[in-house]
Parts: sequence; C-alpha cells; structure tokens
Amino acid sequence: MTLQEQIRSNRIRSSMLVLTFGLIFVGIGAAVQALYGGYSLIIIAGIAFVYALYSWFANGRMIASWTGAKEVTKEEYPDLVRAVENASIAAGLEQTPKVRVVDDPCPNAFAAGGSPKTAYVAATTGLLAMMNKRELEAVIAHEIGHVRNRDVRLMSLAAVLVGVVALVADLALRFAFFGGGRRRDGGNPILMIVGLVMLIAAPIAAIGIQMSLSRRREYLADESSAEITGDPEGLAMALWKLKQDTTELRHANRATAHLYIETPLNNVSGVRAAMSGLFDTHPSLDARIESLEKMGGFKLAALIDPQPTLS
Amino acid sequence: MPVYAYVIIGVVVLAAFWVVVVFNHLVRLGNEAKRGWSNIDVQLKRRTDLIPNLVEAVKGYAAHEREVFEAVTAARVAMQQASGPAQAGAANKQASAALGRLFAVAEAYPQLRASENFQKLQDELTDTEDKIAAARRYYNQTVYQYNTRLQSFPDLIVARLGGFNEREFFELESPAEAQLPNIDFSGDATPR
Repeated sequence: MTLQEQIRSNRIRSSMLVLTFGLIFVGIGAAVQALYGGYSLIIIAGIAFVYALYSWFANGRMIASWTGAKEVTKEEYPDLVRAVENASIAAGLEQTPKVRVVDDPCPNAFAAGGSPKTAYVAATTGLLAMMNKRELEAVIAHEIGHVRNRDVRLMSLAAVLVGVVALVADLALRFAFFGGGRRRDGGNPILMIVGLVMLIAAPIAAIGIQMSLSRRREYLADESSAEITGDPEGLAMALWKLKQDTTELRHANRATAHLYIETPLNNVSGVRAAMSGLFDTHPSLDARIESLEKMGGFKLAALIDPQPTLS
Repeated sequence: MPVYAYVIIGVVVLAAFWVVVVFNHLVRLGNEAKRGWSNIDVQLKRRTDLIPNLVEAVKGYAAHEREVFEAVTAARVAMQQASGPAQAGAANKQASAALGRLFAVAEAYPQLRASENFQKLQDELTDTEDKIAAARRYYNQTVYQYNTRLQSFPDLIVARLGGFNEREFFELESPAEAQLPNIDFSGDATPR
C-alpha cells in the first residue's frame, strides 16, 4: 500500500467506524428495550445518531476538553511550535496544525481532530521538560505523521465513540443491577438475559475496535517520523526516555489512550495490569525501538548514557 | 460495423483514458514539487532579509572586520540573483559559510553576544536554517518521484507530449537522500 492508499483506507474506515458504533448503539438500545421497555430503543438510537454526527465534526474539541489540552501561541512555547512547523514543512502538509499543551508532569503527546486543516498536536509540559530539541522534534514528527497519514480523524472518532459506549453501557448496567424502574410487566426473562449480555459486550466490542485501529498505526507513525526528520535515532532515544518514566497522566482515560505516543495507562496494577497486555492500545516501547533500530541500522545501546537513571 | 471496429474503438478509448490518468498524476506530482519549492523560497527570502540586520548588529561592536561583512553581503547578493533551485542552493551554501565565519568572529565579542538584538537574530537565522532543511527534504523527495516518473517508460511518452520538464534538486548531497525509506503500509503489527 502506498501513502495514498493508506489515506483512502483511513477515510473508508472512518465511515465504517461510525456505522459500527451506530450498530453497537442499536444493540444497546435493544438491550435496554428488553430490560425496561417503553421507547428506549428509539430514544437511544436517536441520541446516538445525533452524537455520532456531532462527534464527526467536533471530536477535536471534545478530546481537548477531556484531556485538558489548551491552545498555546508561539510566544509562549517557541520550541514546541517550531518543532510542529518544521515537521509540517518536511511532511509536506499544506497547513501547520494548531498546537496545544497539557499541563501535566507525565511526558506524553498526541494528535487529534479531523482533516489536516483542523487537526492539532498536543504535548504535555512533562514532555517539554524531558526531551531535548532533537527528541522533541522526533516525537512531534510522529504526531505529524499521524496527521499526514490521515490517522487523526479515525483515531479521534474512535476515542469519542468508545468513550460514550462505555458511559452508556455502564449507566444502563447500573440501572439494571441496582433497581431503578424495572419493567412492571415482568418482560421476557430470556430477552432480559440477552440484554444484560449485550450491555456487557458493548464496551468490550468498542475496545476491540479501538485496539485494532491503533497498534499498527504506531509503527507506521514511527516510520513516518523517521522519514520526516531523517533521524530514527532521535525517536528511539525519545522512546527510551519515555520507557524510563513511570509517572501516570492525570487525565488518563481508557477512551483516549490510543491517541498518545505512549500508553498513558502506566501504573495500573492487579487485575487491570493482567488485562492490560490483552487490551493494550500500543505495541511495547521495546518492540518499537527495535523496529527503528532495524530501519536506521543502529543500536540504541550505543547512543544512550550507560547510566540506568535519567540525569 | 464489423467486430474489429469495436476492438479498435475500445483500444483507442482505453489508451485515451490511460493518457488522462498519467497526465493528471504528473500534474499532481509537479504541483507538489512546486509547493515544496515555494516553502524553500519563503525561507530563503527570510534569510536574505535577516542578513543586513545581522551585519548591522555586528558592525556596532566589530566595525573593522570588513572582510567578513563583504563575504556575507556578496553571498546575500548571490542569493537574490540566483534563479532556479540549483543556483539558489549554491548561493545558500555560500551564505551558510559566510555566516559561519561571521558568527565565529562574533564569538570574540562578549558584549555583542550578550546583546538581546544579536541573540534574537541568531535565533531567527537558526530557525530559517532548520526550516530550509525541512523544506529541502520534502522538496527533494517529491522531485525525485516526479523525475523518476518522467524518465520511466511508458509515462515518458505522455511526459514528452505534454511538455513536462524535469526539475532541479536543491542542495542534494547524495542521491540516496531524496529516496524515501521503503515504508510498507500493508504490514501487520509485528516489527519488521
């Protein structure tokens, strides 16, 4: 596949994604209908339709408010804005995306929005503090790679849709378990069990879709970054620094996890940790560094400080 | 109409369709290269605009370093007069060398280095250099794709008929530089 074909396939997948989520919502609606009766199906399907339409246009703004990313000017963050400008020029974008900053000590970055014209790149203050110029440029080029490959709309849509499926299914389940207006006519017990199963399955299906979208795209964006900066070593060093870091993003959220350059869900323990390998949105940093080493023909161990801790 | 007439009409229609597709593709690549060049051009202009200010700033502290100023000014004139990417590239290289000498001279004047104006100009010039480097990568990659299409059969037939001309590279150090790393967009999630 060429870049053009990748772009086309992303466009088709975006529409398919919205459609699939529409179906999941009809499923949820049917489940709620089975459990509660009334006009549940029509109401929920109607809300879902409006929400999908809204999220197609406003996903960038929605994600900005979820993650706390604020738009910044060149005067405030000259190095970051320049890195975005330079990567956009080298990637051949017609327009430089807007730049946002998340006030958070955990180093991370993401891109969101629709077309390259409305997309933005966001970095945390922790990332800006940790990375030198070369590494910052590599990380930003990864995000610009997502913009150029037209990943952002698809990934942003997945974020806002996963978020709402989880929310709605959760609400419906809570009602189902803790009383709250159960059907008075008794209803069909088989239908009710099917309904419950669907409510549990919906978020899992949503997460499955989210995962299938994101893992391969990370490798691609890493390669795009190397192509944009001509410097796979810089990105490998940046990823290595991210690996050393153990802080967790304050606004970390399952729905937006796949947007980030590195998974923001670092320190989950117990059952969630055991599950996280299964539901990872990102390939491991080691695997990504290895693939960069192969691409650039270098060894990271020879580049980095032999000291195990960050200076 | 006999059967062979249909066959001939079919072949002609297909050939015309192919010509249109190739022609459009070449136009698109050519436009991308043009856009890439305008990105470089903007930064080259910005650089020539910054040079007189920088010379003035340094003159205030090191008026007797005439030789260096002359070299910088000559390089600036060469940049302004250059036509086409190859010449512009040569002039830009000349300017980089002259500016390098100017900054080396400036090292000897701590007061100059401490001046806010000088620091700002130096910062701006570094930014233009970074942007020229970024724009150069994109431009040379698109020119490489474009020229390759123009040279390869059967597209070169359409290229000759349509009057497409090859474009010059800008500061191309090695041919490998312009080639894209081979990115495979169809791979699965395992690293290659």
